[in-house]
Amino acid sequence: MPRADTEPPSTGATSASCTTAPGNRYRIRPSPLIATAHEKSTTVFSLSTLTSHSTLSGGHTRSVRSVAWKPNLSPHKLCLVSGSFDSTAGLWRWEEEKKATGDDLEVEITSNHDDSSDKDDAEKDWEFALVLEGHDSEIKSVAFSPSGQYLATCSRDKSVWIWEDVGVNEDDDEWETVAVLNEHDGDVKAVAWCPDGARSGRGRYSSDVLASASYDDTVRIWREDGDGEWVCVAVLEGHAGTVWGLQWEPKPEGTRFPRLLTWSADQTLRLWSLKEEDDEEENPPPQHAWGSLGGIPNTMRRSLKEEWECTATLPKAHTRDVYSASWSADSARIASTGSDGVVVVYGEEPAAADSETSHDEAAVELDGDVHMGNRNDSKAKGPPPTTWKVLGTTDYGHGPFEINHVTWCKRYDLECPLSGEASRRCSSPQVMTVWSVPGRSRENRELRGVLA
Amino acid sequence: MDNKDNANPTILTASELPTRQIKKRKSPASADDAKFADAVSRRPLFLSDPFCDVSWSDGTESEDEFIEEPIDEQEIYDLISNITDPEHPISLGQLAVVNLPDVEITPLPSTPCDPNALRRVLVKVTPTITHCSLATVLGLGVRVRLEQALPPNYRVDVVIKEGSHSQDDQVNKQLADKEKSCCSTRERHTQGCTGQNAGNLRLDFTYANSCATALCEL
Repeated sequence: MPRADTEPPSTGATSASCTTAPGNRYRIRPSPLIATAHEKSTTVFSLSTLTSHSTLSGGHTRSVRSVAWKPNLSPHKLCLVSGSFDSTAGLWRWEEEKKATGDDLEVEITSNHDDSSDKDDAEKDWEFALVLEGHDSEIKSVAFSPSGQYLATCSRDKSVWIWEDVGVNEDDDEWETVAVLNEHDGDVKAVAWCPDGARSGRGRYSSDVLASASYDDTVRIWREDGDGEWVCVAVLEGHAGTVWGLQWEPKPEGTRFPRLLTWSADQTLRLWSLKEEDDEEENPPPQHAWGSLGGIPNTMRRSLKEEWECTATLPKAHTRDVYSASWSADSARIASTGSDGVVVVYGEEPAAADSETSHDEAAVELDGDVHMGNRNDSKAKGPPPTTWKVLGTTDYGHGPFEINHVTWCKRYDLECPLSGEASRRCSSPQVMTVWSVPGRSRENRELRGVLA
Repeated sequence: MDNKDNANPTILTASELPTRQIKKRKSPASADDAKFADAVSRRPLFLSDPFCDVSWSDGTESEDEFIEEPIDEQEIYDLISNITDPEHPISLGQLAVVNLPDVEITPLPSTPCDPNALRRVLVKVTPTITHCSLATVLGLGVRVRLEQALPPNYRVDVVIKEGSHSQDDQVNKQLADKEKSCCSTRERHTQGCTGQNAGNLRLDFTYANSCATALCEL
């Protein structure tokens, strides 16, 4: 297996596991799992054993470009959606059949190192349940809303589609198209749902918030207006090239609305913040001069926009397109990568405070140590001013090849403590290692990286 | 759209095209050129072998090869000058769509460096007519040919030469997007151009390896 290194166990840096309730970490399913899109298939790997868990093949006639797990399923079930260049999205289901009692399962999985039989069983268990058709061209990205109620897909056909799960039972597989959003002027490269559904409801809008990134250099924010209409509430302009992707802040500070991270062919990464109003209760505050008028009809209210501004540009560290980035829920660090094959890790610090780098040798030799303060320092209600620094870079993360994708994940294969303290200690850039689950042994231009 | 404004482009004869002998005469001081005296008639190594089976992790072998024979501008030119314009049975070199001075390699081929280190190849193409949807096709033809032929640490940028095309920015943006190569080849087919270089182009951009992940860590 292509583990690239044998660095100390402390290399395990951060993860996304905190997106689930930390106290609720049961393992009836054979997780943690990572699904990887490659060629026309999706392969699922176990992060515990670093072995292949199962492969989803035969559903698509062209490259699978994106995969997403359906959240909030019962412990014995898995559901995954794959978005493909063949312009369809496939919905796959996996159900634990043989082992009836959940209590046994964890033992089964962790002790089952018999690769072949495990794989055969698993492949039998994936069912290609449904094809979502509608896009005219390549699907670039798929994403589930936090509740799993909505699925967003976006395409080269310049549209974003929102599908709703209308089945009575989980595996009814009845989906309806509830919106086709056609406002982008170019390929829509990525979509992402705001993870913080409960807090993000704003006045007349429902809680789900979607963001889309496009070849037209813009990002758009979408909300449902309460009457079932999905509307664009903001256009984020600033990138000077295709916006390849975006991610919402996984752990916003306090009650602040999550920021949005975007990355682009202009070789930069930007952070965007919502200008939050002073009193955001039942009455939407005046956002424009005419917003204070009481009797504005619904149709006009609906056109009220949110104000978003770019509050930081990460220190420039890339020399070519940035294809991917990942914002860790544990460490709040950002990793980015792209066509130059370099993996860069950034950290955020209070703008005034001295950097805590005394125990962090690698930080001394950082390049691109540029201070990028927030623009709205003077505002009382604004987010606290911060500075983003490059904590470390790794050249040639996949040899001479471009790197398509990067993500943070925990190293379940080692006895790595999961506490916050450990994470901080662990993620010193000097021992940061780049490794790829499926890719290292293959000779091709497109590979992906996983930061461990 | 006036796409006939250069129906009879100037065509260079084969003897007018830059070759290594001409270059040698121009710069006889280069010591390296002596090694390449026989390379002119040799079929470019990378033309038939996209180098994909050379392991990048196997440092020694490929390193030696690159040090002995750095890929220079002439070699890049040789790779692309014989591509044929879909509209003419004449090569891009003869049409002066690609020109040797418009090929740049950075860092310079003579600079030794890590075999993984990126080398950027910048090719400026000069479309034969100023309003031409085929400009994108030509550019992509150049880009795809080079990407298939060059080692994986080469990054190929193809741009329209300044002032030679009315929609430079749009075309350049499309040429820079790796997911866009399929569109243009499809457009070419719908235009009914048989495209003699079709055999040299892959028709769809595909992610041959992993391009996305999703974590399930509950």
